[in-house]
Amino acid sequence: MTSVAHPAGRRLDAFAVASEPGNERMALARVAEAVAGHGLPAARLERLKTAVAEATMNAIEHGNQGRAEIPVDLEVIEDGDDIVVTISDLGGSRAPAGPAEEPDLLAKLEGQQRARGWGLFLIRNMVDGMDVTTDGPRHTVRLTMRTGDAGAPAADGGGHEEGL
Amino acid sequence: MRVRPPLMEVVMKKDCEASVRAVPGAAVIELTGEVDGGAAGVLTAAYERAIADGDPGTVVLDFAHVDYINSTGIALIVSVLARARSQRRKVVASGLSEHYREIFDITRLSDFIELFGDLDAAVSQLQAQ
Repeated sequence: MTSVAHPAGRRLDAFAVASEPGNERMALARVAEAVAGHGLPAARLERLKTAVAEATMNAIEHGNQGRAEIPVDLEVIEDGDDIVVTISDLGGSRAPAGPAEEPDLLAKLEGQQRARGWGLFLIRNMVDGMDVTTDGPRHTVRLTMRTGDAGAPAADGGGHEEGL
Repeated sequence: MRVRPPLMEVVMKKDCEASVRAVPGAAVIELTGEVDGGAAGVLTAAYERAIADGDPGTVVLDFAHVDYINSTGIALIVSVLARARSQRRKVVASGLSEHYREIFDITRLSDFIELFGDLDAAVSQLQAQ
C-alpha cells in the first residue's frame, strides 16, 4: 500500500478493504480498534467512526466504482494530540463532480433536492478537519480528530459530494 | 504479539428488519439491524403496512435495536418523512442513541421528527394527545 504524506506520527494501523458494498463497516470497526485507548472520548469516537464509514463508502462506490479487486487503503496515525485517518482510492482521475450542493432538508422534503446527498456533509460535521488530495489516480481523504474534549466539529473540508 | 481475529468474523452485517403494529392513534415501525441502502425495501414495505391499517395520523419509527445508520439510511428516513408529510401524517422517532440524535440534529431531521427517549415514552405521549 502507498503511504500518504503525513507529519511525523505514529502509525497505529494500516490496512485495505476490498471495494465491495458494506466493507465500510469493517473499516470503521478496525479504525475504532486502532484508536482505542488513545484519548478519544466515546462520543467523539462515534463521530470518527461515522466519518470513516462515509469516506470509505465514497471511496468504494465512487472512487473505485465498486470494483472489488481495487482496494481502499486506510491508515491510522497518532500525531501529537491528533488522530489522523487517511482513506485512499484510485478514482482520482475521475471527472470532478463539481461543487457540493449543501443539503437542505426542507428542499429535500419538498422535492427540490434529491433525498440523498448527506455523505460529505456528515463527514465535515463529524470531524475536526478534512482535507482532500489527488495525486494522479490516487484520491485521498484525510480526517483529523483531536483527542480529548477540546476538539470541535468544523466544516472546513474541500472535496466533492459523491452521491451519498 | 497481539493476535487479532479476522474482521470478517467480528463485523457481520445485520440486515434491516421491521415489525409493524398499531397503537391508538399511531402505527409503530420497530426497526432492527442496520439502516443503510439495503434497508430501502424493508422500510418502504413497513411504511406501507403501517398506513394500510387504520390510516394512522402518526407513524413512530423506533430505532432502539438499530446499531448503524449511514447517509443512505438518512436519505431513506427523509423519503419516509416526505411521504408522510405529503399525506399529512406526523412522524416521530424513539430509541435513538446519543450519536444518532446528534445526527438528527445536524441534518435538521429533529426539526421535523419529534424525538423520544424510548418507545414507551413516545406511545404514552401519543395516547395522551
